[in-house]
Amino acid sequence: MAALPRRIIKETQRLLQEPVPGISAVPDDSNARYFHVIVTGPEDSPFEGGLFKLELFLPEDYPMSAPKVRFITKIYHPNIDRLGRICLDILKDKWSPALQIRTVLLSIQALLSAPNPDDPLANDVAELWKVNEAEAIRNAKEWTRRYAMDN
Amino acid sequence: MGICWCKEKHEESESYFPQSNNDNIDNAIQSITSTVPSEYYLEGAEKGCPDSATVDKLVLETLGIIGTLVDNEQEPPPSMLRLHNIADNEEGWIQVVKSMVNVIPMTDPLGPSVITLLLDDCPLPSRESVLKVATMFNLSAQSAFAGRVNAPMQRNICVVLGCIAEKLAGPSSLGILSESTLDYLIINLKPDTDPHVILFSLIALEKFAQTSENKATIIRRLQNELYCPVSKLEAWINEEHFVKRQVGFCAQWALDNLFTMENRKFSYLTVNNAHINAMLNTGDVSEYLKISPDGLEARCDAYSFESVRCTAQADSGVWYYEVLIITPGVMQIGWATKDSNFLNHEGYGIGDDKYSLAYDGCRKLVWYNAKSEPQPLPRWQPGDILGCLLDIDSQQIIFSVNGHNLPPCTYVFAMAKSGFFAAASFMSFQQCRFNFGAEPFKYPPALIYSKFNDHGSLGPENRKVMPRHIYLDQLRQQSVREDSCTLCYDKKASVRLIPCEHAGFCTSCVGQLSECPMCRSSIHVVIDENT
Repeated sequence: MAALPRRIIKETQRLLQEPVPGISAVPDDSNARYFHVIVTGPEDSPFEGGLFKLELFLPEDYPMSAPKVRFITKIYHPNIDRLGRICLDILKDKWSPALQIRTVLLSIQALLSAPNPDDPLANDVAELWKVNEAEAIRNAKEWTRRYAMDN
Repeated sequence: MGICWCKEKHEESESYFPQSNNDNIDNAIQSITSTVPSEYYLEGAEKGCPDSATVDKLVLETLGIIGTLVDNEQEPPPSMLRLHNIADNEEGWIQVVKSMVNVIPMTDPLGPSVITLLLDDCPLPSRESVLKVATMFNLSAQSAFAGRVNAPMQRNICVVLGCIAEKLAGPSSLGILSESTLDYLIINLKPDTDPHVILFSLIALEKFAQTSENKATIIRRLQNELYCPVSKLEAWINEEHFVKRQVGFCAQWALDNLFTMENRKFSYLTVNNAHINAMLNTGDVSEYLKISPDGLEARCDAYSFESVRCTAQADSGVWYYEVLIITPGVMQIGWATKDSNFLNHEGYGIGDDKYSLAYDGCRKLVWYNAKSEPQPLPRWQPGDILGCLLDIDSQQIIFSVNGHNLPPCTYVFAMAKSGFFAAASFMSFQQCRFNFGAEPFKYPPALIYSKFNDHGSLGPENRKVMPRHIYLDQLRQQSVREDSCTLCYDKKASVRLIPCEHAGFCTSCVGQLSECPMCRSSIHVVIDENT
């Protein structure tokens, strides 16, 4: 059995014992490096009321390299593309092994509160966010209603 | 090399699917499609959905081309890109699913892998599209019986259900596993159903069980049947029929790992491993590979390219082992040192780096350093025996299929002259069985050679292939010391960084860093407080 680093065991225990408000992260039954994540859309954002599913995977050399995180629920956001990939510096060159699953998920939640169309991943979404923010926000709300709410 | 596009390469370019910015794609598409009208491979998001005949054709084209693709750096085939674009809206996604279910034949060894691959790379469906698909198939106990006349279609439906269950694990997966869908899958497990349909029904149930509420529902349902249908199928594990044998393997794995039954003993407790001195290493395997309780048979049902090495090591002399091919799809089997990495999510496995060499008898290629060389042999079939001979003294590796030798390969020896392990990588739904010499070989080489089973040794703990849930439970009970390194929690924290004065790390973690993990200032001096 591939040995599981203590770092992952420790983080998992803490995530389960002291969950982060608005975020649930549960390790997969058969793969302790794979987490099923649900992030609630932050209040006063166009994503409010939505439940967004993500997957988080801890690569072989975690924590020396960043977790791989992806939105599974469709989301209209300038920094998240249609395959759910996230443009966030701490997942790329600004990763530090002192960051954790918990801090990564908090940053993603913060990204929902504060989209950054100047550093876009989803180009057409970012474009609209810059030229017509009101319409972009309407789209984001509509997508939240369609894809991230139960009914 | 496994087949896997979007994940890594697009991540680097930080862009969508190629739409405008990429000249070489346009060139590639032009060169392949010069004979068809250009609008056939229209780029960019589709408005509306083309007719079903067009989508059917694109699916078959993708299926035909996929076995010939050997390079992940290459763009996906245009037919596949077009399918991605079509699947970008709801109507299109449903049509793509429908076409795959209707046209993918039972005979193509890559059929189920292609369904998985296409669905995995398509944008995720919404909950509504998935429910519409479920309604469209109209799954129920009756449809399971009625569907028996069209086994390929039922098999494809089950593959699709499994993919969707895996992708949408969680609340949406609960919605799809309605009572009638469950009826459909359970009825399919009856032993007189086509074995392909049984196999993929079982795998679909396994994927649904990734959501714990579904798992509880399935277990309850299995317990309510007069005889647990999965337990019945477990008896097929030694069947001569290769599809039935896969069913037996998956049934045993499911009963050990997912659908645990009160009155059944785990197979790792009942198997007799006394004569086995070398097996697949459960500590040296990527995370989704399934390994049999005797440690000699392996199978992948994930969409990643799963790899494993064996327990015993060869440092000099001549070594030989054999592999019984159980499924005819893509596996890369051969030799690797410990320096070879398993990048299962990126599609890299044995033969895809400088420290390993492998044969893939589906695409008929020898792999070294992610480059391939075609071989003049027929595609391998279930029941074929792959022979893997490693001659360290004369620095060559010779593969054989049913006793017919391929030309010797020498590449890997430039990088490594010792420390070789038997190793293999598996694309989705592939399975094979290793013989390290505990059984007589079918095609023993004519020269003097050693077998791992004669030279290997395994302690009582190492020969146990424990179900993961039991192993993980044991792990989680471990406690972590308070004074441990805040990065790995493994070793004692002992160093302080200069000039920033941050502390709480161990030497081996800091050795991998150039800047402080807390403040990002560069590390000039590391002071070990222990000395």
